[in-house]
Amino acid sequence: MEKIKEFFKTFLLVELLKGMALTGRYMFARKITVQFPEEKTPQGFRFRGLHAQRRYANGEERCIGCKLCEAVCPALAIKIEVAEREDGTRRTTQYDIDLTKCIFCGFCEESCPVDAIVETRIFEYHGEKRGDLYYTKPMLLAVGDKHEAQIAKDRASDAKYR
Amino acid sequence: MINIEIDGKLVETERGSTVMDAAHKAGVYIPHFCYHKKLSIAANCRMCLVEVEKAPKPLPACATPAAEGMKVHTHSELAIKAQKGVMEFLLINHPLDCPICDQGGECQLQDIAVGYGGGASRYTEEKRMVNPKQIGELISTLEMSRCIQCTRCVRFGQEIAGQMELGMANRSEHAEIMSFVDSAVDSELSGNMIDLCPVGALTSKPFRYTARSWELSRRKSVSPHDGLGANLALHVKENKVARVVPVENEAVNECWISDKDRFSYEGLNSPERLTKPMIRQDNKWIEVDWAVALEYVANGLRQIAGSAGAEYIAALATPHSTFEELYLLQKLMRGIGSGNVDFRLRQSDFSSDGKLTGAPWLGMPVSEINACDRFLIVGSFLRKDHPLLAQRIRQAVKAGGEANVVHAGDDDLLMKVANKAIVAPADMVNQLAQILKALIEDQGAPSTQSSVLNPQSLPALQGIEITDTALSIAKSLAAGERAAVLLGNFAQQHPQAGQLAWLAEQIAGLCSAKFGFLGEAANSTGGYLAGAVPFAATVQGMNAAQMLENPRKAYLLLNAEVELDMHNPQLAIAAMRKADMVVAMSAFKHQAMDYADVLLPIAPFTETSGTFVNAEGRAQSFKGAVKPLGDARPAWKVLRVLGNLLDVAGFDYNTSEAVRDECLSQGALADRLDNHMDDVELQGIQPGPLLQGGEAQPGKFQRVTDVPIYFADALVRRAASLQQTNDAAPPVAMLHGDELQKLGLQSGDLACVTQGGISVQLTVKIDGKLPRGVVRVPAGHPATSGLGAMFGELTVERA
Repeated sequence: MEKIKEFFKTFLLVELLKGMALTGRYMFARKITVQFPEEKTPQGFRFRGLHAQRRYANGEERCIGCKLCEAVCPALAIKIEVAEREDGTRRTTQYDIDLTKCIFCGFCEESCPVDAIVETRIFEYHGEKRGDLYYTKPMLLAVGDKHEAQIAKDRASDAKYR
Repeated sequence: MINIEIDGKLVETERGSTVMDAAHKAGVYIPHFCYHKKLSIAANCRMCLVEVEKAPKPLPACATPAAEGMKVHTHSELAIKAQKGVMEFLLINHPLDCPICDQGGECQLQDIAVGYGGGASRYTEEKRMVNPKQIGELISTLEMSRCIQCTRCVRFGQEIAGQMELGMANRSEHAEIMSFVDSAVDSELSGNMIDLCPVGALTSKPFRYTARSWELSRRKSVSPHDGLGANLALHVKENKVARVVPVENEAVNECWISDKDRFSYEGLNSPERLTKPMIRQDNKWIEVDWAVALEYVANGLRQIAGSAGAEYIAALATPHSTFEELYLLQKLMRGIGSGNVDFRLRQSDFSSDGKLTGAPWLGMPVSEINACDRFLIVGSFLRKDHPLLAQRIRQAVKAGGEANVVHAGDDDLLMKVANKAIVAPADMVNQLAQILKALIEDQGAPSTQSSVLNPQSLPALQGIEITDTALSIAKSLAAGERAAVLLGNFAQQHPQAGQLAWLAEQIAGLCSAKFGFLGEAANSTGGYLAGAVPFAATVQGMNAAQMLENPRKAYLLLNAEVELDMHNPQLAIAAMRKADMVVAMSAFKHQAMDYADVLLPIAPFTETSGTFVNAEGRAQSFKGAVKPLGDARPAWKVLRVLGNLLDVAGFDYNTSEAVRDECLSQGALADRLDNHMDDVELQGIQPGPLLQGGEAQPGKFQRVTDVPIYFADALVRRAASLQQTNDAAPPVAMLHGDELQKLGLQSGDLACVTQGGISVQLTVKIDGKLPRGVVRVPAGHPATSGLGAMFGELTVERA
């Protein structure tokens, strides 16, 4: 009996028609392809993209050079040198993140006691050479300056879950 | 012994010890801040509260004496509750911003707060603020608000350093640690307060904000400075020594190190470091390859040996060089047929050469100093020359010992000195002879008393008149059970050093005391054992002084900056200028740029493996902690290649350990240490020439020379922070007030000090404790390096 069923199935192209029916359904269904870069997918406020260094409202950089992010970074992507500034505070003289090493785990942001190093929603950055993805302190501060409004908003949204 | 139970573990502990001691024995950790095993008990942090059965309240473990049958619970509910409570109180005023603090990561408060602190602070009121104080160039108090008032630093000053430089002023919330008005912390042991501070209130100024504790790799080493050989941990970051801290070794440095050991690392990367071999050509310095430089040296030495003879080649090394370097240097010299090798650069009297039966040493293990009850310290700027040995003697004196001093200067030793004879250097032999005579008279006929006493020398003692001071010193020594007679650097540099040593040995023999030399530098004993002295082997030669008096054609300088490290810099510079070839093996550029022909960059102690044999004859080896800077190379490798180039046999070493083992295999170290000297003749036991009749020629003085603590060796001279301390102030000429008056000068005036035809201008100061007829002018500083011998005659005039 089973054998006869199998014989008719192959003979009458049932599988083919089933497949065509699925294709036909999708042909008329609503399209979900995002037309990047004209269109973008929605992001959560905890999105972990490109890093940024933040400043306080008075323009003072937040980072105090405690090196906790450097210590916690599992990919050893962060390199910090510090020195005493004229006013007696410890400040970084070098703060580099090698984005080719970074695994975007977010530990640096997690460990930062002053919310200085953050990961932004930006993910469509690029470099033409390998060295272009080696972000130095001025580059990170520039990212922070440019996107501070969004960064601050995201931190505020996340604050109630902490 | 009593039995006590801690957390269910039975421990046997000594009667009179505390619960903390017992817990330590049982391996139970009790959190604490103010307790420190080397300091007195303060019990003011209350962190070590534990539950003791049958006691109504928790008791502080550090201050509770252990009693028979006591049952202690360190982790019971009550104990933990008490400890957590204390922690919360401590954190009320302590800032909670560890990421900013330089102590973060190595902070006791931080560590213990993780175990006993709450998750969040309940304290919302204002925190206490303490203004930072300026207490010198070594210790930063910028974070004084972090202080938890454990008073360890205060107790350290009082009990270990011997002077209370920090104290706690005011009470309760207003209590703060401060120094006396406008004064810095000047102790030569002050750096230990940084280690002692359990929080970040006292931190190291030179190290401040340069690294975090977790970035540093710790490598063991040994101090190259004084004769103690303190054990160090070099904290290395990116091939640079970032700081130095002590390694605990109860037999050597306990848990302390001196500031010289701690902060001298700053000199390691000084801009003066020599990083390329250089040759002088047409009076210009050109950088060359090692091969070229060494070939040049080998050729030069071969030529001089061929034309003038090998005895026209001389080698001078500092006792700060490693054992291997000294051994290879003398082996090289003897290999090419010259015995002119010496490391005793500041010594002037070599009469004991050849009479020594072994290498001069401390005469006892370092740790035995604490057990001595009588001291005779001859010719030593003890605190500055041997900060940690001075500390041990201080503890012994505190425990009921008596210190007696025979010296030409009377610097405060910060301990009770029972008797002191402060006499001109020329009178020191006489002073010791008086003590010896007093001891002989005290004990009756010498022949029966002591076999060490050489009867032939006794007639020399006949004309000696015993002063009261000498008598009381003799009585003090004779009354002791374990006495020690110690000769300091000054006595070893003295022009009558041989006689001083002989007399000291006799004195020690008569009161069955230990007799020892306080080694000037890391290898002062090791140098003898390495054979870096002219009389050590069959090929004999000239000593350091003779090499300069009879100028040689070639000089090999190992670490030596002759203008600062020699007994007579004037003579040294002249000899160097006359020489055909001067090869300076040095880690630093220095005045050798003027007189040398070849500069070979060698590695300081952090960049080479090596051994220091300290004053007690303990051979301590260490490995290089960082790579040599630039093209610098370990000196033992440089000497090995030189040996190969000069075809000296037996220079095929692969490691510095092979060099060390070859030298040490010549017999057990302990058997080669001996302070005894045969047949020293006593001469000149009369009042010193300058003091005869009480009147010297006006304006003429005998020089008393100290080597200031931070000018003593090449490394420390370049340590930037140490050079800003009060101990590194520019040299001044010190005289007795009467002498100054006679010269018509006032304290603070500029005077013209002339020695050997060269004059320098120095500020004069009054030191009322100096004997008359002497002027104290320090050595080891460029300002005085033009002057002559350390104990010479000089004139002082109005500038």
